[in-house]
Amino acid sequence: MDKKIKLEELSVGYDTPVVSNLSFSVEPGEIYALIGPNGAGKSTVLKTITRQLNRINGKIYISNEDESQMSEESIAKVISMVMTERIHPELMTCFDIVATGRYPYTGALGLLKEEDKAKVLESIHLVGAEAVLDKDFSKISDGQRQRVMLARAICQEPEIMILDEPTSFLDVQYKLDLLALIKRLSKERNIAVIMSIHELEFVPAIADKVVAVDGNRQVFVGTPDEIITGENMEKLYHMKPGTGEILVEGLMAYSKNIESLI
Amino acid sequence: MKKRNYTLIFILMILVLMGLALASLAMGSADISPGEIISSLTSSEDDYYSKILITIRMPRILAAIILGGALAVSGFLLQIFFGNPIAGPYVLGISSGAKLFVALLMVFLLGKGIYINSLGMVFAAFLGSLLAMGAVLLMSQKVRNMSLLIVCGVMIGYICSAITEFVVTFAEDSNIVNLHNWSLGSFSGISSGQVMFSFVLVTITVIVSFFMSKPIGAYQLGEAYARNMGVNVKVLRGILILLSSLLSATVTAFAGPISFVGIAVPHIMRSLFKTAKPIVMIPACFIGGGIITLACDDVARTAFAPTEMSISAVTALFLAPVVIYLLIKRKEMQRG
Repeated sequence: MDKKIKLEELSVGYDTPVVSNLSFSVEPGEIYALIGPNGAGKSTVLKTITRQLNRINGKIYISNEDESQMSEESIAKVISMVMTERIHPELMTCFDIVATGRYPYTGALGLLKEEDKAKVLESIHLVGAEAVLDKDFSKISDGQRQRVMLARAICQEPEIMILDEPTSFLDVQYKLDLLALIKRLSKERNIAVIMSIHELEFVPAIADKVVAVDGNRQVFVGTPDEIITGENMEKLYHMKPGTGEILVEGLMAYSKNIESLI
Repeated sequence: MKKRNYTLIFILMILVLMGLALASLAMGSADISPGEIISSLTSSEDDYYSKILITIRMPRILAAIILGGALAVSGFLLQIFFGNPIAGPYVLGISSGAKLFVALLMVFLLGKGIYINSLGMVFAAFLGSLLAMGAVLLMSQKVRNMSLLIVCGVMIGYICSAITEFVVTFAEDSNIVNLHNWSLGSFSGISSGQVMFSFVLVTITVIVSFFMSKPIGAYQLGEAYARNMGVNVKVLRGILILLSSLLSATVTAFAGPISFVGIAVPHIMRSLFKTAKPIVMIPACFIGGGIITLACDDVARTAFAPTEMSISAVTALFLAPVVIYLLIKRKEMQRG
């Protein structure tokens, strides 16, 4: 199968590399979870993929095309994202926010055509946010906001979605709902997803593969079972010897139960 | 809000603007009734009234509309740039930077007996605007808090105004009297040539801004999302600075610094239209800025006639409370 996005020996960071020699590739419909301790460079990796930061080294290929050679517009039609930073738009309804996803497809003045409006409504329907359609974005709950941002990302009709800790700030029901939604969308629409996530207990249920970064430029890539092991957790999160095993045992038992919920 | 409602508000605003412009023609130390206005404007005779109307009142009214509109659009663009509704060319010291450069150029050239044309004035003002903007940008990298940044902007404004005062005080020329009035902000004595020049410049700049509505709208979601939508953020930021500086420079070159229109009008328009979409806000700010500035200028020239107040005194009186309201509301939102 063709690789939707491929990272080749990628080094990212602000001045000095935080993550080095990162290589993996994601196929359409696959979900990769990016895990690691705080400050290990998860967001830095995602920001580099979405070109908010310059690469230090290495290459990113999108459908075999070198990302650095692609125009802003053509990238916008392929990659969409949901970031952790909250946005503070003024006087914008949730419909308006989702509609900004149509940006790469509208004309010079950005006016929405009927088909654009239909796509906006469809995306809102997909995430189940009809109730807040006409509400002011700044006046809805965090959980609803994340759904709206996800609808915005869907509305951009991406082949690749980059999600930076989409479940942070949400209560447990919203977390489960959002993860189920991401999984469904990825499979139904064949979207390659790379998402960073803190809650390890959700990883086996949602991710096809796991990429772990440890902040010391070490990278592990593999299936959830391969990566989430006691030994790895101790290394990644600087845990005391022996405690990793206990953590993973609990995590795996919990995640088995969760799988039926996502 | 539906498109129909936007259109309705726009039509109403244009009617208000036209009505106000006609009323302003009738206002002034020489009492001219509406009937006399029509008859003297339609007759080909070059009588006393038509002279007052055409050479004094008309250019002044047009200047207040065009330059007031320009100031409001400039403020709106700056607010987008800083992602903050409390930005404006006056509070950020940009108008004062423009004022300083125009004063320096005028004093220098008048001293040598050289007459400066409109282009030269706007160019000097534009340079001053950009320099003050550069200083604000440098500070904005250190000061993340917008309220503090505004305090810094106000300080830049004070420094520029102080230097302007020095220059004006020590320059020896009878024309300095003019310069003094201008440095406080005034539409009085603006020539039809200057009005024509600013009309062309402001129209072009506002139209360019209008056609930038799409990327500006994307930028309202923040830099990261704008970039993800395919906007070249660096280029957009540069364009925003150039357009807003050019607009406020044109205003300062011909009417001096005018306070608070740049902050307050965009806010009033957002409340009126219940949207912040640039495609609506840019024309709305232009017309709204015209209405409010013209109304303030009418007050400035008629309230204590024949003595004139500076336009900034009037705009400050009416619009500074709006700015205070915005500051308080923002603080409350941060707490909430």
